[in-house]
Amino acid sequence: MGKMITVENVFKSFGTLEVLKNINLEVQQGEVLCIIGPSGSGKSTLLRCLNHLEVITSGKVMIENELLAEKIDGKNQFKITHKKISEICAELGMVFQRFNLFPHMTVIQNIIEAPVSVKKVPRAEAVEYGMELLKMVGLEDKKDEYPARLSGGQQQRVAIARALAMKPKIMLFDEPTSALDPELVGEVLEVMKKLARDGMTMIVVTHEMGFAREVGSRVIFMDKGEISEEGLPEEIFSNPKNERTRAFLQKVL
Amino acid sequence: MLEAFHFFPRLLHGTWVTIQLTIVAIIFGVIFGLVLALGRLSKNQILNKISWLYIWFFRGTPLLMQLFFIYYAFPLFFNPPLKYSAWVACYIAFSLNSAAYLAEIIRAAIQSIDKGQMEAAKALGMSYGQAMRRIIVPQSYRRLIPPVGNEFIMLIKDTSLVSIVAMPDLMRVTHEIESTNANAAIYLPSAIIYLAITTICTIVFEKLEKKYSVYE
Repeated sequence: MGKMITVENVFKSFGTLEVLKNINLEVQQGEVLCIIGPSGSGKSTLLRCLNHLEVITSGKVMIENELLAEKIDGKNQFKITHKKISEICAELGMVFQRFNLFPHMTVIQNIIEAPVSVKKVPRAEAVEYGMELLKMVGLEDKKDEYPARLSGGQQQRVAIARALAMKPKIMLFDEPTSALDPELVGEVLEVMKKLARDGMTMIVVTHEMGFAREVGSRVIFMDKGEISEEGLPEEIFSNPKNERTRAFLQKVL
Repeated sequence: MLEAFHFFPRLLHGTWVTIQLTIVAIIFGVIFGLVLALGRLSKNQILNKISWLYIWFFRGTPLLMQLFFIYYAFPLFFNPPLKYSAWVACYIAFSLNSAAYLAEIIRAAIQSIDKGQMEAAKALGMSYGQAMRRIIVPQSYRRLIPPVGNEFIMLIKDTSLVSIVAMPDLMRVTHEIESTNANAAIYLPSAIIYLAITTICTIVFEKLEKKYSVYE
């Protein structure tokens, strides 16, 4: 068991709007951390700060033992090169709400693109591993389709396979089922459950309370840019301590 | 009208000059235009300003004036004065000018690509350059085709300006035939040739657009 992610005193502002206020967080290897909360509470922003899609305003973010960002009032405390940042971020896979598959590439090309161009994996090897991943998500027969010809659920499963192709140590999910038709949500959650069972460290921003309850090893409730409650799923869902958590859960459950 | 056939070889020769000039200008324009577009999209303020200034100048002054400047004025900045032919001056002027227009076309096409594409590429560990080369720019091709087709057609017609610096293009040849033979009817077949080239272009660009639409 090792510490995979450390977030210390992180603040993030967009202009004058403060979206993250003093966030402290640790994620251990193999944990499935679910982040819930109303929209606009900063859940997605927190996730995006972990792989440098957003840059924190102040505080410190570490991935394993590598420093990704350390800032005080927007100023870097250390010079971290773009190359180093890319290397660290390659350890984290990310799945987006709107899939963001590359529309000009077929399914298998989507999957092998980063391994081949970033990690310099030989093409044949990347294809072989890509096919394995496609089998895992149940889409090996779609390898030569373009994303536009797949359903939302299928696209999201390809997106998961694409992220896994980089052999990440941590997977970030940013509301992975929010853009899906209700009947397609299950197939994506199934794949995520399989990953969790295999011991993948996961951080999942989600509105799927059933998933958080069943699969999450820890749940964080965020509100107005702060972590207002944190605990085991059963604690949070059956006996929330915080008033705001209670109000939120009453609305969504 | 029959006489037009007699002049046909000369007209064809002029047509070839027109086509050559257009193709050189569009090829160079696309390459240099892409560099300028990336400059305009760059966070580097110096690159950004240089690209902006370039585009500002070449879109803001008449093409004919740019051509005159490059042909007549620019060589005089050197001692002894530079010597190059009207051909070279025309190639340079049209390439530099079309680059400015194409830069803005390319910039708009790149900016129209969904932001999520760059984010996905970065999340996979790609550098900005890799993401541009492999993900963003290839997706902009299809969106580039209609405006580039338009630019191509404008360019074909604009090349007639080179007749003023004695380049034997289709326009110049037609004008020479007209003045030496006192036969103004020669403008008609010449216009038909221009129309034929632009029509072929339209068809080719429509085909290209279809070809690149497979994945949408």
